Amino acid sequence: MLNFAVIVFIISLIYIAKVEMIRTYIGLLAFQGFLLFIIAYLELVEIDILHLSFILLETLVFKALFVPVLFLRIVRYKNHRNNTGPVKGYYSVFIATLIVAASFMVAHQLHYENLQVKYFTAAIASIFVGLFLAINHRDILTHLTSYMVIENGIFLLSLALGSEMPMFVNAAILLDIFTSVLIMGIFFNRLKDYFQNTEIGTLSKLKD
Amino acid sequence: MIETFLIVTAALALVTYAIRNIMVSHGLVFAYFIFLSYLGYYKWQHVGEHSSEYFFSDYLGVIFMAVLIVVSFSSALHYINFAKSREVPPSDAALHNAGTIFFTGAITGVLFSAHFGVLWAFVEATTIGASVLIYHNRNHESLEATWKYLFVCSIGIAIAFAGILFLGMASQEVGSEDITYTGVKAMAGKMNPGWLKACFLLIVTGFSVKMGLVPLFNVDIDAKDASPSQVGASLSSVLMNAGFVSIYRFYDAFSATSIVSWMNTLLIITGVSSLFFAAVYSLRVRNIKRLFAYSSMEHASLAIIAFACGGVGYFAAILHLIMHSLTKSSLFFQVSQMHRIYNTKWDEGIGSYLKINPMGGLVILLGFLSIIGLPPSGLFISEVMMVQALVINNLWWLAVVIIGLVLVIVYGLATRMLGILFINKHNRDMNIRGASVWESAVQLTLILLVFYIGLFRPAVVVDTIKLAIQSLPH
Repeated sequence: MLNFAVIVFIISLIYIAKVEMIRTYIGLLAFQGFLLFIIAYLELVEIDILHLSFILLETLVFKALFVPVLFLRIVRYKNHRNNTGPVKGYYSVFIATLIVAASFMVAHQLHYENLQVKYFTAAIASIFVGLFLAINHRDILTHLTSYMVIENGIFLLSLALGSEMPMFVNAAILLDIFTSVLIMGIFFNRLKDYFQNTEIGTLSKLKD
Repeated sequence: MIETFLIVTAALALVTYAIRNIMVSHGLVFAYFIFLSYLGYYKWQHVGEHSSEYFFSDYLGVIFMAVLIVVSFSSALHYINFAKSREVPPSDAALHNAGTIFFTGAITGVLFSAHFGVLWAFVEATTIGASVLIYHNRNHESLEATWKYLFVCSIGIAIAFAGILFLGMASQEVGSEDITYTGVKAMAGKMNPGWLKACFLLIVTGFSVKMGLVPLFNVDIDAKDASPSQVGASLSSVLMNAGFVSIYRFYDAFSATSIVSWMNTLLIITGVSSLFFAAVYSLRVRNIKRLFAYSSMEHASLAIIAFACGGVGYFAAILHLIMHSLTKSSLFFQVSQMHRIYNTKWDEGIGSYLKINPMGGLVILLGFLSIIGLPPSGLFISEVMMVQALVINNLWWLAVVIIGLVLVIVYGLATRMLGILFINKHNRDMNIRGASVWESAVQLTLILLVFYIGLFRPAVVVDTIKLAIQSLPH
């Protein structure tokens, strides 16, 4: 079940590279949030109620519910098409697959006792696919989505490396990410109202 | 104590946001800064003590806290005048003042964090506070700059968090789950150098956005340009210092390991490449705020290069950051006044400033002499020490490259600054009535303080810096 969830997560990374409709992006983000909850729940066998509540809050409530709903509200249910950058269609799939393959090879080369290869592969792939989305796409909402894909990668990385932090620190980190996404959402709305579109080309006034 | 301070910060930021009376709002900011000053004094009296697992006090934090207090007070004074002259609506002023309190609280958290996870959380919090401040003018430029700043900072800070996770794994491998500053410093010698290198690389990459260095420097430049000048002053001084402290904590924790020379090389590469970009852009830019922003990038580069040289370079780096913070905030404050007189921030519309506003012109002239590192500026002392550190490390060739790049930047600054001060330029939008002698008093005081430190090297400054760096390898 655990391996299956990780594999589905990796497939979702390859698929997200090809997607063009904004609502599909948002749906995939919600799906990834749900998968992260399953992975974290199955991985952390001896878990107390406090940690379980925290993971539930971080994955199901924040990543699978709050962020997708916020993004849907931002686009106001319009299923507009994302204006992709230079790499389009199946070329994007090819690049995402290359990223996954490279991540697997790197993870496999690292022979460390504490390192979970499957999580490490998914984590590194998620971070780099997120960066690829941010670089390749011209729509500001896709940039927000790419940030969430990177954050999902960071979440998996914490599982891969098994590095745990005190609950106070975890709560502070989650609060920060939550506020960042919320503020980005607010500014996205301002941008949309001001420029009447969400094309990154409109943000080119500041130059040397 | 700091826990109480942080709770007060959050509560006061909310109250300030809710208050629509501008004078009360400004009053709350000053009340907060008085509390900040008391916290600074308290931390100085309790150096070496941990208030909890997550916070402590050391000389480095106290030094930059002193800079934070001076710059914050000056910035708040300027904002009163800014809000009055620009007729800022009460709601915008309330948001700005709440953002100022939040931002200052986050910087304080960075300076005194004893846990790397908490340090990360406060660095991320500075992004949120800074975004509110950058957006102040609510125009195309500020919206663009805020979005870019928020997005790139969030990516950078996420990368830095990956570094902290690597540190967590390295720590677990040696049987410790402690990633506090002192805990890691004690165990770092036993940790896997590969994980520590990965951690430091990601930390420098991620926090470069706060210090204004390569690779994530662009958004920092845009933010300083599009925000009000007093915000640009804070970003160029206290935020840059917070970025330095963040990198310093990791460096210090790993300084007793085998990767120290690798870390030095990485910092030198980062510093020299940043200096190169600053030099190239300094020749191109015509916008005064962007010119000062690239000058800040130059000084961040010099500080990080000096720090990487070790020995006398550690001292030079910290002294340089203090002197730069005071000088650059003065210059940014003065730009605000200049903008009001000439109604532009482009150098082709600004001229004969020394004649039109003698006091303001004097600030720009002395600030220019100070920022290019001419004696008796304190920056002259730190730059000489930096060259000394390079020579001691047998890096003659690097010293020559750095001096060459600095001279290019000095040329770029000189052509713009001297033109602003002495050349008569036709500008129909000029409003000469906007200038007042008293508005430049704070800037002049800060620059004279830089000259005083450069001339007399007060024992309290020298000794505190020496105490701050005593744990580093010499």
